[in-house]
Amino acid sequence: MSVRVRHPLPRQLLRGPHLCGTAVIACMIATTLAGCGSISDRALHTSLSALEAKAPAAPANSSTKATNASCGDPTASLRPRGPLPAPGHMPARTFMRTVQDRGRLIVGIDQNTLLLGYLNPFNGQIEGFDIDMLRHLAKAIFGDPGAIEFKAISSAQRIPVIQSQSVDIVADAMTINCERAKQVAFTTVYYRAGQRIMVPSNSPVRGTLDLAGRKVCATVGSTSIENIRRLAPHAIPYPVALRTDCLVALQEGKADAISTDDAILYGFQAQDPYTKIVGPRFSDEPYGMAIDKRHPEFVRFVNGVLAQMRSDGTWASIYEKWLGRITHAPAPAPPQPHYRD
Amino acid sequence: MAQTSSTALASAGRRVEGMRARLTTTPGRLSLAAVLLALGAIVFGALAGSAVSARHQAAHSVATDTEPLLVAAEGLYGSLSDADATAATTFLTGGLEAPVRRERYADDLRAASGRLATLARQAGSSVQTLAAIRTLATQLPVYSGLVETARADNRQGFPVGAAYLRQSSTLMREQLLPAANRLYDVEARRLSGDYRSGTSAAALLAVIAVTCAMLGLLAAAQVHLARLTHRIFNVPMALATLTIFALGIWMIVGLSVEQNALGRAQRSGSDPVQVLSAARILALRAQGDEGLALVARGGGEASLTDFDVATRRLGFSGEPTSLLGEAAAIARRSGSAAMIDRLSGSFAEYLAVHRRVVALETNGRFNDAVRLAVGSSAKELSLADALNSGLAQQISAAQRRFAGAAGDATSALGGLWLAIPLLSVLFAGLALYGMQQRLGEYR
Repeated sequence: MSVRVRHPLPRQLLRGPHLCGTAVIACMIATTLAGCGSISDRALHTSLSALEAKAPAAPANSSTKATNASCGDPTASLRPRGPLPAPGHMPARTFMRTVQDRGRLIVGIDQNTLLLGYLNPFNGQIEGFDIDMLRHLAKAIFGDPGAIEFKAISSAQRIPVIQSQSVDIVADAMTINCERAKQVAFTTVYYRAGQRIMVPSNSPVRGTLDLAGRKVCATVGSTSIENIRRLAPHAIPYPVALRTDCLVALQEGKADAISTDDAILYGFQAQDPYTKIVGPRFSDEPYGMAIDKRHPEFVRFVNGVLAQMRSDGTWASIYEKWLGRITHAPAPAPPQPHYRD
Repeated sequence: MAQTSSTALASAGRRVEGMRARLTTTPGRLSLAAVLLALGAIVFGALAGSAVSARHQAAHSVATDTEPLLVAAEGLYGSLSDADATAATTFLTGGLEAPVRRERYADDLRAASGRLATLARQAGSSVQTLAAIRTLATQLPVYSGLVETARADNRQGFPVGAAYLRQSSTLMREQLLPAANRLYDVEARRLSGDYRSGTSAAALLAVIAVTCAMLGLLAAAQVHLARLTHRIFNVPMALATLTIFALGIWMIVGLSVEQNALGRAQRSGSDPVQVLSAARILALRAQGDEGLALVARGGGEASLTDFDVATRRLGFSGEPTSLLGEAAAIARRSGSAAMIDRLSGSFAEYLAVHRRVVALETNGRFNDAVRLAVGSSAKELSLADALNSGLAQQISAAQRRFAGAAGDATSALGGLWLAIPLLSVLFAGLALYGMQQRLGEYR
């Protein structure tokens, strides 16, 4: 195998450093090549930070603490003056004329409260007791109950939309009380609701006294939740953001009972026959429509329309069309108006 | 005591003396050189082998383990987001939902469950991963239950259906999607870790160092041999040198090619997959927000705010800080960004229609807004769907590029795992044989 080399090769060729030098050059070429294979985390960080959980600002819970502001009788409203103007002939320089010239009445309503104000998915129309009241108002202004634009609002928005004049009137199961009467003008009472309790049909609860230790659902910032704290101090409040969330909580067993105005409870019952409404009314919730305080003539006009609806049977027929479906009772006498002047 | 130790010392001293004496002889020195070369071959084989196999394993793991898991996590995240968006828009169309959309929702849930099963099997057992998988596995049925209840109520015209839909979406956004996000995060970081070990300079340096050291040792041995025996050339030794040199070059080239291919896999494969996936998830989030805002009919400010957050992060291909901007930059580096620009264009159109929907909504014209958004001739929904499927196409194209490059990376080191031990043994054999020839001349 071994060979004697006759002409000895120059020794340097065999020197280690030389061989290694060749290798080093190869290495350098390789690393330069490898340079384009560098790894970066830029895309990783861009995509991860873009997907970072956002925190959409939680809806401001303008929890209106029921202050026991006293103001005499908050349900006393402005008396209608004279006969109602004919539809389409609103007197000049009144707010009604402004509305008539605009061509439609802008109203703030709720669209999730079955029987009072809700969106009927079958025909895409907003319907209910409150809605029919408003349609009659539109009819009194324009002669056309369809000249109306609905703005769905949340309970917390009811006073702000009136004060900012983004709607003309709000009819959304709104209880008249002193605190609210300081911020907006109310019409006369168009429905007298009262707080009651709704439970699953197999529940032993029969009244506020049985609520101790049970979870009772009500809407954040509502008068209902304050009444429960006052009348059933041992009940555990289960506050939710929107009214219908209470029905979900009851159906899922997260709440043992719902306590709110009976008119709203009727709507829940229409959606779930496995429920019952128990106990007597334990509060008085007079509903009024809210109007900006700068339009007293509009308040008087609406009160005139309401008075006409009470006397000509319109009120009773609207009641029977919506709430009578659940109560199976003839329409009660419409709430009598109180006027302050 | 002192005597024994001095005897031991003396005997040790004698042994050292003996070895030293033997080393002064030429055969002794040759034997030592042979032993050193054999030891060197073992060390060389072990070091080079482990360096190359660490790289090979990392590249293999990128190709067959971490990246596919990242894709599964992304797919899970995407299907859940799509289910959320589809449920909201389908709800808007009322009780008689379009069969296509119903099908799409069902497909999303099926895909999500399948990917969840894959991830549960393979995603490792860190506390974070297990917690996320548990959340997904337990809450996904709850979510679909809420959606079905919403659907049943909606079919009867009950407004409580919207409350159920809202609740399902809250569950999705507060528990399911964050859990999917955590899985995605874990997998994305694991992939990044594998990329790092798959391209670590340490392996390349180690290979260069051991090759140089080995060549140095061989050269020294041959110079020594030449001096001792006065024969310059020893064929087995020369062949051994050649073997090491060739193996060294092979390893360096292999590692460079692998590193290059992995870099390509990341740049034109998994990077765009990640950025485009994030874009798709954000687009779906925005679409879900839009649906929820319309379902809320006036009460949807929070959803509209979130829509703005999501779409701002998504951005346009011209904005460098946005996701689509990043996607375009990546696409430009490895070809053309024309497709991304086109997607960015349809996203701009989508936003324009969204503004019209919101304008109708603020004016209380909900029916018109819903018709424009999801109606039979809806512009917005088809634009959103086009954006979604365009992004999905780009993602699968990037995924194909990834698979190709990652395959190149693994095959670049393919033969080496066998070649390193074999050639090391061959080298040791040649070196020992070469030494043996010279040693034999002294017997």
